[in-house]
Amino acid sequence: MNRYTLSRREFLAQLGLVTAGTMLAACAAPAAPGGAGPAAAPGAAGPVTAGDREIAPGVRRSETLILENPTGKVVPADDFNRWRPGIQSASTGLQQLGLDALWYIDPDAGIDGVWDNSLAAEKPIYNEDFTQMTVKLREGIYWSDGVEFTAEDVAYTVETLKATAGMSYNGQFNKYVASVEMPDKYTVVFNLAEPNSRFHGLFTVRWSACFIMPKHIFEQQSDIVAYTFNPPVSLGPYVLKDYDPQGDWYLWERREDWQRTSLARFGMPAPKYAMYISPGPSDKKVMAQTSGELDVIHDIAPEGMITLARTNPTSKGWFKSFPWAHPDPTLPAVIYNNEKPGLDNRDIRWALTLAIDIVRVAMASYRGAATISAIHVPPTGLYPGYYFDPMQEWLNNFTLDLGGGEQYKPYDPTAPQRIADAARASLGDMVPTDPEEIRKSIGYGWWKYDLEAAEKLMLKAGCTRNSAGKWLLPSGEPFKIALMAEGDTRPIMNRGAAMIVENWAEFGIESSLDVRDNASRARLTLLGEMDAEFGWTVETWGGHPDLFFFLESWHSSFYRPTGENAVGRNRMRWKHPDLDPIIEQIQRLDFDDPKGIELGLEFIKLAATEMPITPIMSYNVFSVCDETYWEGFPTAENPYTNPVANWANTKYMYVMIKPKA
Amino acid sequence: MRKFVLNYLIPRIGQYFLVIFLGVTLTFIIPRLSPSDPVERQVSQLMMSGSHVSPEAIIAMREALTEMYGLSGSLWEQYLAFWGRLLKGDLGPSLSSFPTPVTQLLATAMPWTFGLLMTSIIISWIVGNILGALASYYEKNVAIQIVDVVSQAVRPIPYYIMALVLLAVFAYWIPIFPFSGAYPPGTRVEFSLSFILTVIRHSLLPLFSLVLIGIGGWFIGMKSLTSNIISEDYVVYAENAGLPKNRILSQYIIRNAMLPQITGLALQIGLIFSGALIMEVVFGYPGMGTLTFQAVMANDYTLIMGITLLSIVGVATIVLILDFIYPLFDPRVRIQ
Repeated sequence: MNRYTLSRREFLAQLGLVTAGTMLAACAAPAAPGGAGPAAAPGAAGPVTAGDREIAPGVRRSETLILENPTGKVVPADDFNRWRPGIQSASTGLQQLGLDALWYIDPDAGIDGVWDNSLAAEKPIYNEDFTQMTVKLREGIYWSDGVEFTAEDVAYTVETLKATAGMSYNGQFNKYVASVEMPDKYTVVFNLAEPNSRFHGLFTVRWSACFIMPKHIFEQQSDIVAYTFNPPVSLGPYVLKDYDPQGDWYLWERREDWQRTSLARFGMPAPKYAMYISPGPSDKKVMAQTSGELDVIHDIAPEGMITLARTNPTSKGWFKSFPWAHPDPTLPAVIYNNEKPGLDNRDIRWALTLAIDIVRVAMASYRGAATISAIHVPPTGLYPGYYFDPMQEWLNNFTLDLGGGEQYKPYDPTAPQRIADAARASLGDMVPTDPEEIRKSIGYGWWKYDLEAAEKLMLKAGCTRNSAGKWLLPSGEPFKIALMAEGDTRPIMNRGAAMIVENWAEFGIESSLDVRDNASRARLTLLGEMDAEFGWTVETWGGHPDLFFFLESWHSSFYRPTGENAVGRNRMRWKHPDLDPIIEQIQRLDFDDPKGIELGLEFIKLAATEMPITPIMSYNVFSVCDETYWEGFPTAENPYTNPVANWANTKYMYVMIKPKA
Repeated sequence: MRKFVLNYLIPRIGQYFLVIFLGVTLTFIIPRLSPSDPVERQVSQLMMSGSHVSPEAIIAMREALTEMYGLSGSLWEQYLAFWGRLLKGDLGPSLSSFPTPVTQLLATAMPWTFGLLMTSIIISWIVGNILGALASYYEKNVAIQIVDVVSQAVRPIPYYIMALVLLAVFAYWIPIFPFSGAYPPGTRVEFSLSFILTVIRHSLLPLFSLVLIGIGGWFIGMKSLTSNIISEDYVVYAENAGLPKNRILSQYIIRNAMLPQITGLALQIGLIFSGALIMEVVFGYPGMGTLTFQAVMANDYTLIMGITLLSIVGVATIVLILDFIYPLFDPRVRIQ
C-alpha cells in the first residue's frame, strides 16, 4: 500500500503551482503599507491623486516631507542615545526634529539672524574673567511626554556626561566644569574650572552640539551607556511615529502640542509628517526625486545634479542655476605634513600652490561647480562679508619673494571667471555670465597657475631638477609626494586630488595619489604618516565670524610631532610664533567682540604668507529640494538656513516651507 | 564501521574544527594589522561631524573609548578574552554600533540575506544547469541557441550596471516593481500573509537580477562539462540502444556531470554569509552585505569577526556535510 497520497511528481507539480501562485499574487497586488490596502484620502470620493496616496498607514504623501538621511542604513536601527559617540541615528530626524539645544548658529543668514536662542531665553552670560557662565532658560517648553523642561535637565545632562566615561562631551565637561548650580527652575550657572570664553560653543548647534537630555527618563536607567533611548522622548516639534527595523526609514509626526516647543516662536511646522529615508546611490536619488518620492536630497554627484537640472523643473538647488550646490562652512585643502623634508619649507609649499591649476581642479572635482577660496576660511555663509571682501586689497597687493630680489603678486581674481568659462563649454546657458553672480557662487579668486614662478621658488629653496626633469630636494633626494585622499566615499575629493597630483606631476614632482579607506586615512593622518592629504582641517560656524572653532587646536601647546596622534585639527603639524598670540587673544575676547574679525584677518594673512595648507574650495553639497509638494526651501536668495538635510539647523526649514498649492 | 569512525570520521571532524580555529585566529589578527583603528575612527568621525571638540577632550575620549571597547590590553590578552567569550556564545559588542551585541546585528540582517540569496542560488543553479546540459545536448535547437547567446551576453555585464538597468526599466519607466527596500515605509514587520506577499513582491526584482547573473555561470560550467560526456561510450551506447533522449540527458549525462556543480553549489551557499553588497545598495535591500561593508570600513573588529566566523563555519560545515553525502550522489565515491 502506498504510504503517500501524492506521487513525487504530483507533489513537485503542486509545489510549483503554489510557488508560482504566490509570486503572481505578490506581483498582482501591490500591498499598501501595513497591508491595509490602497487608501483614499479621508472623505475623498474622487480618484486618488499622487498627493492623496498613503506612504504609510494614515500618512498622506501631501502632508509628508521626505528627506534623505545620508547615513544610509542605520545599524542598529533602534538606538537613539545621541549622547553616546558613534551613534548612527543622529541624522534620522533625531537631532533635527526630536532634540533641542540651548543655542543655534546658522551656517547661513539664519531665520531671525545668525544666532538663535533656542532652549535658552537669551545669550550666554559670562562673568568678567570667563570663569562662570549663566544660562537663562525659556519657560513653557515641554518634553513630548508632558514633563516640563527645566534647569534640572540641563544640569543633569552636564553632570551625567561629566561623570560617565565614554559618553560624548565627557572630556570637555571634565576639563571645563567645576560645578553646576540651579538658582531657580529656569536658570543654570556653570562654574568653570578655568577661564573659557567659548564654553557656550559646546551647547551651540553647528550641525550638532550637546543636546539636552530628559532627566526624568535617563535617571531611571542603570546604565546610560547601554541605554538606547527608544522610543525617544522629544523636545523638538516632532515625535518619532515609526521606524524601519532595518534602519532604512524613520517617520516623525508633528506633536499635538508643538506650541510647547522652542520652534513654535516661528509658527507651526507645515509638514504633519517627516520621513528620513536612505535612498541609495546618486542614480536612485535622481529617480526617486523625479518620481516624487524624495523631496530633499542631502547630496548628490554633480552629474546627478546636472541631470535633475535638465530633466526635472521642480528640482531646485541652493543657487537657482550653476553651480547649484550649497557651500558648507568647511574648507577642503591640501594639508601638507609641515615636518616632511621639502614640505617644511614655505617657498616649496608656495611653489606647490602655484603649480595647481584651480580651473582644472574645479572641473575635475565638481565639473566646475566649486566655490573656490584662496584664503584659509571657507567662502560660505556670511564669510564673504566678514573676511573675503576686507581681504581683497591685501591679496591684490600681496607679494612673494621669488629670489634674486624679484617680487611676485600671486593672487588671481580672474580664476572664477575662467572656471565659469570652462563650465560653460559643457553646460551652456546654465552657467551665469554676470561677474557679480560668478563671484558670489564660484568665489572671489585663487592663486595664479604659474609654473615659471613655481620654478623660481623651488630654485630659491635649493631644489634642482635631475636629468629627467624631476625635482630633487636640496639634499639631492627625489622630491616625492603621495597625496592621500578618499576613495568612492567622496568622489569629489578623490577626483580633485587626482587632478592636483596630475598638476604636480606636470611640474616635475614625483607625485602619486594615495587612496585610502576612511578608517586608515583617519589613523595615518592623525599620526602624520603622510606627505600630504586632500581633506579638511578648517571648519567654521558659517554665520558667525569666530574662528576659535578650529583655531584652538592650532595652538602650539597642542602640537604633536609626526608619530604621535595629532590633537584636534593640527594634522599639518604647523606652528608659528605669530600664531599663538592671535589664538590667545581670540580666546580672551567675548564671542561677539568685533575685534575677533580683526584677529581673524591677521590669522588669514599669516596663513596666506606661510601657506601651511593650500586652501582649495568649500565643500559644496548638492542639496536638491523638489517643489512638487512643498515650496519655500532655503536658497542663496532666501538663505534663512542650510538645506543640507543632516544638519540639526534644518529644523528651521520646517516652519518656512509651505504645501504647494 | 569502527574503521570508518577511526580512520575517517574523527580525523575529518578534527580537521573541521582545526579549519575553524585557524580561520578565526587569522580573522582576529588581520584587522589588527591594518593601519586603521576603530577608536581613531570614532574620534575623527566626531571631529568631522562639525561638533566643537576641545583638544584635551579628544585625548580623554581616546582613552575612554579604548577602555570601553576592550582594546586596552595586549593582543594576546585580547585574543584570550575573545575565545573566552566565543566559547560562551558571546561575540561581544559591535565597536561601530557600540554597545549593540554583534549577535543582534547578525540576527537582524541574516534572515534577509539567507532568504534571498539561498532562493536565487537554488533557482539559478537548477535553471543554469538544466539549460547548460540542454545547450550541449541539443546544440542545433534554435531556442537553446538563443538562450546560449543571451547567457554568454549577460554573464560579462557588471552586476551593478545590470541591476541598475533592471531597476530603471521595471521600477521607474515601467513601474511594475517597487523602487526600493524589502517592504514599503510604514509597514509593520509581522508574520502575516499580507506582509509575506509584500516581501515577496519587493524581492522579485533583486531576485531576478541575481538569478540572471547566476544562471550564466552555471550555464557555461554545465555546458562545458556535458560537452565532454556526450561523446562518452555509455552515452553513445544508450543512443544506439534507442533510449529516449530525455532519459539519456537526465540519467546518463546530467547525473555524471553533477559532482563539480554540487561542490560549486555548496561553496556558493557557504559564501551567502557575507551577503551581496551591490544588490543591497542598488535595491535598498537589507542584509549582510551592508553590514559587512560597514564593519570593514569602520574596522569594527568584533563585527568582522562575527561575520567571518559565520562564513567560516558555514563553508566548513557545508564542505563537511558534502564529504559525507558525496557517495549518495556518486556511488563510485568510497571511503578507503
